[in-house]
Amino acid sequence: MIKYILRRLMFLIPVVIAVTFVVFFIVSLSPGNIAAMIIGDGATKESIEQLTEEMGLNDPIIVQYGRYISKLVTGDMGKSYATGKDVSSEIASRFPNTLKLTILSIIISVGISIPIGVISATKQYSILDYVGMVLALIGISMPSFWFGLMLIIRFALKLGWFPSGGAEGWTSIILPAVTLGVASTASITRVARSSMLEVLPQDYIRTAKAKGVNKKDVIMTHALKNALIPTITIIGLEFGELLGGAILTETVFSWPGIGRLMVESINRKDIPMVLGTIIVFAVGFSIVNLIVDILYAYIDPRIKANYR
Amino acid sequence: MDDKILEIKNLHVHYKTEDGVAEALNGIDLSMKKGQTIGLVGETGAGKTTLGLSILNLIQRPAGRIVDGSIELAGIKIFEKTERELEKIRGSMVSMIFQDPMTALNPIITVGEQILEVIKIHQKLSHKDASEKAREMLEFVGIPRERFGEYPHQFSGGMKQRVVIAIALACEPQLLIADEPTTALDVTIQAQVLELMKELKEKMSMGMLMITHDLGIVAEICDEVAVIYAGRIVEQGRLVDIFKNAKHPYTEGLFNSIPNIEDRKEELIPIKGLMSDPYNLPKGCSFYDRCDYAMDICRDKKPDKLYFNDKHFAECHLYKGNKDFLLKYAQAED
Amino acid sequence: MTEIATRQKVDLKKKYKKRSQMADIWIRLKRNRMAMIGLFILIILILTAVFADFIGDYEGKAIKINAKERLEGVSKEHYFGTDEYGRDIFTRIVFGTRTSLFVGTISVSIALTFGGILGSIAGYYGGKLDNTIMRILDVLLAIPTILLAITIVTALGPGLVNLMIAVGISNIPGFARVVRANVLGIKDQEFIEAAKAIGLRDHEIILRHVLPNCMAPIVVHSTLKVAGAIMATAGLSFIGLGVQPPRPEWGSMLSSGRAFIRDKVHVVLFPGLAIMVTILSLNLLGDGLRDALDPRMKQ
Repeated sequence: MIKYILRRLMFLIPVVIAVTFVVFFIVSLSPGNIAAMIIGDGATKESIEQLTEEMGLNDPIIVQYGRYISKLVTGDMGKSYATGKDVSSEIASRFPNTLKLTILSIIISVGISIPIGVISATKQYSILDYVGMVLALIGISMPSFWFGLMLIIRFALKLGWFPSGGAEGWTSIILPAVTLGVASTASITRVARSSMLEVLPQDYIRTAKAKGVNKKDVIMTHALKNALIPTITIIGLEFGELLGGAILTETVFSWPGIGRLMVESINRKDIPMVLGTIIVFAVGFSIVNLIVDILYAYIDPRIKANYR
Repeated sequence: MDDKILEIKNLHVHYKTEDGVAEALNGIDLSMKKGQTIGLVGETGAGKTTLGLSILNLIQRPAGRIVDGSIELAGIKIFEKTERELEKIRGSMVSMIFQDPMTALNPIITVGEQILEVIKIHQKLSHKDASEKAREMLEFVGIPRERFGEYPHQFSGGMKQRVVIAIALACEPQLLIADEPTTALDVTIQAQVLELMKELKEKMSMGMLMITHDLGIVAEICDEVAVIYAGRIVEQGRLVDIFKNAKHPYTEGLFNSIPNIEDRKEELIPIKGLMSDPYNLPKGCSFYDRCDYAMDICRDKKPDKLYFNDKHFAECHLYKGNKDFLLKYAQAED
Repeated sequence: MTEIATRQKVDLKKKYKKRSQMADIWIRLKRNRMAMIGLFILIILILTAVFADFIGDYEGKAIKINAKERLEGVSKEHYFGTDEYGRDIFTRIVFGTRTSLFVGTISVSIALTFGGILGSIAGYYGGKLDNTIMRILDVLLAIPTILLAITIVTALGPGLVNLMIAVGISNIPGFARVVRANVLGIKDQEFIEAAKAIGLRDHEIILRHVLPNCMAPIVVHSTLKVAGAIMATAGLSFIGLGVQPPRPEWGSMLSSGRAFIRDKVHVVLFPGLAIMVTILSLNLLGDGLRDALDPRMKQ
């Protein structure tokens, strides 16, 4: 097991490096002269040239990337074009907010979706099943940012139970977390249900029943554990979607996380900040995938066996 | 009827599907005494597995329905019991093992745990004692006890089936229903597993319902044989009755379908046609359209049970009023 | 069984009437009521997009600023009310259908084409080629799709075309993976060996034999990805990275309407519903197709 974890970790590092390169490369294709933007009005051709040279923007991409990555490993992501402050400290101060939001979201999601998925599967064709599935379908079809707006209208503006934005007080995280979690709840419910439906007719379930295992244990010990295997993969994928969704949700709720920071930076053409936020997101996603893979191996002994 | 371990009376089971209603079992009567081994022979689709599942009352609802009849297991009326009560009986009083060992075990639980589970459910043993018993069961079926903590995928098909048998016998059931237990295995492994089952059956004086389509296995291990076709037992009797003195044309057909090892040049005589459509069973004898001896009455009227000795009967119009009628190949024997 | 009893012959013929594969799938799809509803809604949306000019007046109602009629509610003249510039929301939504469906289908086509090519090559040839391609794809797959799209849009700049390219490219790795997995499953089958044995060249084999047998999961994946692309379009436009004003797009309508949600709910209600209905119909259809093509559902 340890060997497996170590091997996956080793695989993670080149992937992360490659990701940073890809992101860096794509972002560097941005049109527009950065030096010109920074200097602003009244920029002369000479001053633009000088600043460009100073910032090393005339060097080949690989060199620029090398510079960036070497600074990155020390935690230095450069300085914001907009504020001049350290990118890494900006991100570090906002990151916990995004983390709080996504973790709460995924907990709510998993907490709701797995029980509903299991019940839907075991009581297939019942009213509960149909209602559950319709709601799940609507959940994945609804734009999360619109849902957020609807929640704000009803629960913040009309009823006043929650603030309509910002991070003041513990109630402020509820609406954003629910908004963020809706799509993933719906998605995980569907997968949990379909995995259970695939597992329930399996022969080993029949064996368990023939042994006299009681109904509850058949579902929880035998069926659910097996059904969780594909479900966990989806939970990992959904986390990735959550990261994307966080960008939108933070915008809707003016939530002070790195998602909103990214959007603002893009609109301000603050390249170092954009780069920094995207990289943090991408690395975060890779780490989550790693955790999911490890969990997967932990649950399914057949995977572990391949890495003996 | 104290030593009757199993008593099935007039069992009718239907399955409702998109294509209509399949009449899987149509009036099955079967009884078994303690320690007996009855073979249930028939082709795929005859209703053999359905019969086995009915005894445990594990027919898949909502599609499957027990439409009529009763089953008594050592005097316990199975269809009158609640699910809870049935859970106590399954695995302890009666066990069932199924055809495909490759998929019969939960892939993410160790084999030892799976044996342990059935022991813990039914017997009040401490964890230590139960684990010990589970390990003993492994040895009982010929698997080293050190393999307790291994997973099913680490075992071959034959060994998996042994684990399945260990699970089934751990609580010393009075009746074992074996549904084609060796069909999915290689011939050499088949022999081993069969030997094992014979040994265990004798050691535990357990009743066994051996469901199979393989007459060779029947000859090896069964005392009595019941031949099932289209959901009815069309012939039943002692082993020697069926093998030496088969009366039903279908039974004759089954024997003719086996290659003769002594006369390798002899032509195989297959039974023409396919099993009757359970969605649309004929009015008269179900075997009518495949039978070499078919008469008009066979098309219109279902045959009655006719007895040839205390145990041997067949459902066929040929013998009505003519008990001594001999089938084609019966004539050639002796 | 060498001879089928005559009495049984007639019944068998009736039961196993020959049906083409396509017709088979269509029949099974038809049975699924939800999928049919989805298909129906989708057809209406497509018709709306195609005939938008006949339904509404683009210049007059969707684009022209009409300060006098600002933020009016639902009425006979303005079915969905007007927005903060006095533009008719209903008309804007109608034309927005065009944008969404257009971006959705084009971007998925891009992803399908390039992803399909990469996936086929990787799956069919295997070995080093496969490894290299998959390594690169793994890196790209390590970035969430939306994030990748955002990154590309950042680089290219906002706008309709760039949006299509960004969403398209960001979906290439996903399609490559699906196609590759399916090709791997098919290429070892005997009829491929047979095709090679009769001398067909690689690209002929891939195009004529391998891919057609993968169509089922690819079609399902594509349908669901179109839904995803439309969602991404709306999302990106919402944060200002997509379609630029004054072009009507559902996501950007939500963004600009946000300021008025306190008392003018209709400005955000209807565009959001439009997005939801569109994506719902695609999901219903995609689910239905998935079920219809599932070999386990065959009798």
